[in-house]
Amino acid sequence: MPNLRDIRQRISNVQSTRQITRTMEMVATAKIRKAQSRIESARPYALSMMEVLGNVARFVRDAKHPLLEEHEKHERVVIVTVVSDRGLCGAFNSNILRMAEGLMREEAAQGAESDIIAFGKKAIGYFRYRGIEPMASYRDVSDKPSIEEARSIATRVIEAYSAGEIDGVKMVFNRFKNAAEHIAEIHDLLPIKHTVVEDETDAMQLNPEYVFEPSADAVLEHLLPTYVETLVYRALLESAASEQGARRSAMKSATDNASEMITSLTRTFNRARQGAITNEIAEIVGGAASLEDE
Amino acid sequence: MPRTLAVEIVTPERIVYTNEVEFVVVPTFDGEMGVLPLHAPLVGVLKPGEVRVKYGDTTDWFAVSGGYIQVHEDKVIILADNAVSASQIDVEEARRTKERAQERLKEIGHAGDEVDGLALDLDWAEAQLRVGGSHAQV
Repeated sequence: MPNLRDIRQRISNVQSTRQITRTMEMVATAKIRKAQSRIESARPYALSMMEVLGNVARFVRDAKHPLLEEHEKHERVVIVTVVSDRGLCGAFNSNILRMAEGLMREEAAQGAESDIIAFGKKAIGYFRYRGIEPMASYRDVSDKPSIEEARSIATRVIEAYSAGEIDGVKMVFNRFKNAAEHIAEIHDLLPIKHTVVEDETDAMQLNPEYVFEPSADAVLEHLLPTYVETLVYRALLESAASEQGARRSAMKSATDNASEMITSLTRTFNRARQGAITNEIAEIVGGAASLEDE
Repeated sequence: MPRTLAVEIVTPERIVYTNEVEFVVVPTFDGEMGVLPLHAPLVGVLKPGEVRVKYGDTTDWFAVSGGYIQVHEDKVIILADNAVSASQIDVEEARRTKERAQERLKEIGHAGDEVDGLALDLDWAEAQLRVGGSHAQV
C-alpha cells in the first residue's frame, strides 16, 4: 500500500508543475500575437521591394551581378540555421538542427564543405557539442529579431559569396503557418536564382517605360543585397512566431498531461485512504469481537 | 482639388507614413529630386538625407538612411532602410552617434569594412541632425 503522505506530496508537486506550464502557455499565446503582428508590419516593405525588383529586372534582362552568378566550383557552402534561444518548445529546434545536419551530409556527398551560421543559442550548443564551430553566431535575439541581425547575416554571406569564398548559401528555418503549425523549410539564399527575379516580373503587369536613377544596373546592384536582407529578416520573424507557437503547443500538452496525472494520483490517493479506513474498521470490529467473547 | 500623389514611406519594420500629397522631394545620389503628380514611372536609389512632403501649406520632414523610391501612376513608394519623421528625431542621440563614429573613424584612419559601416552611420546621424535640428517643431 503506497504511503498516503507520499502520494499527497506528489500531487502537490505535479500541481505546481502544472501551474508553471500553464503560465508558460499563456505567455507564449500572448507572444504569438506580437510576433505575428511583427510579420504583418514587415509585409508592406517586402511586397513593395519585390515589385521594385521585378520592375528593375525586366529592364536588365541578362543582368550580370555577382549574386546572380552561379559559381563553377562547389566547394564550400554556408548553412544558416535559425532556431530559438530557449528550449521547452517541442520538436521546434531538433527538426531544424536535424535538417541542417542532413544538409551538411548531402553537401559533403557532393564534395562541398559546410559552414554554419547559428542563429539562436540552441544551434550554437548543438553544433559546438558536435565539434563544429559556427562561423558566426547570434544569441539572445531569437524572440525579437530586428533588421540589424538580418542585415548582419546578409552582409556576411554576400561578402563571402562575392569574394568567391563560398559557393552557395542555404537557410533552414521554421515557416510560420498558423499558431498551431510551422513547417521546417530549406531556402536557397545565394546565388539568387534568375527565375526568382523573373517570376516576380511575370506577375507584374507590364508597365510603360521606367526612368532609372542613376541607372537600371546601379539600382539592381543596390537592390539585390536588400532583397537578401529582406528574405533573411522574414525568415527570422517567421521563426520567432513559430517558436512561440511551438512552445504554446508543447506547454499545452504538458499542462494536459499534468492534469491527467493529478486525476490518476488523486484516484490512487483515495483508494489508499479508503483502504486505510477499511483496515481500521476491520481492526475495531475485530477488537470488539474479541472483547465480546470474554 | 488638385491632383495628388499617394506617398508611402516604409521601412522593413513598419510603415512610417502614408498620405495624399502634392509634392515630394527625395535625396538621390545626384542631388535632390522632386516628384509632382503625373511624374513618369521611376525607380531610384536614395542616399541618406531628408525627404520633404508638401500638401497645402504644410510640409512634413523625414530623415531617411538611404533606400529606394518607386514612382508609378501617382503612387510614390519610398523604401527606406530607416526613416523617422522630424518630430521623432532624437537630436542628442544622433549627435552622440555622429561623434562616436567620427572618433572611431579617426582611430582607424584607413579604409575597410568597418569604415564603410561607420560612414553610413555618420551619414545617417548627419541626416537626422539636419532634419531634426531645423524642423523638429513640425
